[in-house]
Amino acid sequence: MSALQKLDEYRYLVPKGFRDGMRIEGLIFASADLIHAIENDQTLMQVANVATLPGLVGRSLAMPDAHQGYGFAIGGVAAADVRNGVVSAGGVGFDINCGVRLLRSDFRRSDVSPKLDVLLNQMFRDIPCGTGKKGLIAGLSYEELDRVLEQGARWAVEKGYGREEDLDHIEEGGCLRHADSNSVSRRAKERGRDQLGTLGSGNHFAEVQYVTDVFDQEAAGGFRLFKDQIVILIHTGSRGLGHQVCTDYLETMQHAMKKYNIAIVDRQLACVPIQSPEGQNYLNAMAAAANFAFANRQMITHWIREACERVLGRGNLDVVYDVCHNIAKEETHRIGGAERRVLVHRKGATRAFPKNRPEVPSDYRAIGQPVLIPGSMGTCSYVLVGTERAMEETFGSSCHGAGRAKSRHAAKKDMSADDLVEELRERGIHVRGASKSGLTEENPRAYKDVSAVVEVVHNAGLARKVAKLVPIGVIKG
Amino acid sequence: MEPGFHILEHPADVGIEATGVDLQDAFRQAALGMVSVIVDPLTISPSVTKEIIIDGIDAENLLVRWLSEILFLYDGEDFLVGEIRFDEFAPTLLKALVKGEPVSQVKHLLRTDVKAVTYHQVHVSQNAEGATVRVFLDI
Repeated sequence: MSALQKLDEYRYLVPKGFRDGMRIEGLIFASADLIHAIENDQTLMQVANVATLPGLVGRSLAMPDAHQGYGFAIGGVAAADVRNGVVSAGGVGFDINCGVRLLRSDFRRSDVSPKLDVLLNQMFRDIPCGTGKKGLIAGLSYEELDRVLEQGARWAVEKGYGREEDLDHIEEGGCLRHADSNSVSRRAKERGRDQLGTLGSGNHFAEVQYVTDVFDQEAAGGFRLFKDQIVILIHTGSRGLGHQVCTDYLETMQHAMKKYNIAIVDRQLACVPIQSPEGQNYLNAMAAAANFAFANRQMITHWIREACERVLGRGNLDVVYDVCHNIAKEETHRIGGAERRVLVHRKGATRAFPKNRPEVPSDYRAIGQPVLIPGSMGTCSYVLVGTERAMEETFGSSCHGAGRAKSRHAAKKDMSADDLVEELRERGIHVRGASKSGLTEENPRAYKDVSAVVEVVHNAGLARKVAKLVPIGVIKG
Repeated sequence: MEPGFHILEHPADVGIEATGVDLQDAFRQAALGMVSVIVDPLTISPSVTKEIIIDGIDAENLLVRWLSEILFLYDGEDFLVGEIRFDEFAPTLLKALVKGEPVSQVKHLLRTDVKAVTYHQVHVSQNAEGATVRVFLDI
């Protein structure tokens, strides 16, 4: 077995000899510190396992926040040729289009601080969150749910949640057009029906933050961010609907693999050819689940605006951008000197496209796509911008956040919920959590250092730092 | 082997290792273990009965599909399973009667939502002393 090879300060190669059957190499982006964590769990083996899948191009990638996942590492990126490559539901993950949206205001920190507790209380009242919490739309019909699945954020805007111009600042305009509600099982719809417009629990949250540092004046200006500005970050996904879609298709793919003569080294890598009925059905169902998540974040945006209107007198927050962290996208990339159409699996990874790309909103096109990196509760978050280097090396991808370092069990033992809330309050961060264990599991010490992760991404040239955001209030399920 | 379950450490999620006098018993314990992640099981009254029939391609698949069904009853049908009895249990088929009740935010002490049952390090084994199963849940 060949060992990991350090290429430079931020790049480690996983050679084809690392394990049997690798068809391509692997590449890990990490610092000397972060690589230790990556070496200490199953991440490396998972990067190598992914490299055994048929039809992959380029390299099997891992971002600096990578940690072991199911089949694919979380923080992994892999691209398959659309003609002869495979799609794997595990390469997207259970929480399809778990993602992040950033809202900007024209408030400064001093405008909001005196009313922060009132604002947080209002947000906590208005945004359904927590274990088993139902959405506010009682009895959403299956027909209406199908429209959500097909139209995504646009459905929400048409129902009065937010504005038309919000859609320009969402990845894919907030709707993956190849979505097909017929590819989504009844079971997934039953799970999702009552959960539309909910934050969820676990590591999902909404944070009131302020901009502490601006690293790139031009880009920050282009994204209309300024120092001391109040912004709000929303982190949530497709809820039970997405989780069930992944569960359903992992089952389908397991059964179908035999007829396509695909052998895999890890059961969680169950996959089918992209150009197969099962593959197309999965991608259409994944798109539907992604649209559910876009609609979800759109509704939450509306409630946040209303809360701000009520408490602060003004609720005209704009969407800076909204990105997916768990998704598979068909894109054109330059590989080996030629343009190729590939399906890029991003599992715990964010698209990071540079300037002049048509996919970047027109008012950002001269700068590049905003890349939103949430830190864990009570740490900090970052806005970055995509680069050409990312297009060359990572299929236009970047990290997605901090990545977990400690099990939830160990995190809970670290400190009590009351101590955690107190510690955060001493640092000026107010928390509203729906449950005590929900808080302690998300203890920031349970996560890798997001700043260290972002430094790697910035220094490796994959995405450029634009601004740093620090929370003053957190809403958690 | 003593029937029971315990929670396993994992960086991101939750694992359950369940043991029983036989495989059927271990499957039962695994389901009870998963329910205990979601809710305090002592708060569930066994007032409604439902039937579950699962067929799988192998023992691991049967386990994952069995637990996925219990999860779906909670997340899709708002039903919490408190008691389990198997009417039939074969290597790739099971029939169970489960008892529980509809979820109540007031009555049930809900803990953590489970997103899905995964195949990560899934393990099913049995010998003369009993059976052990292991499974990880995405939470």
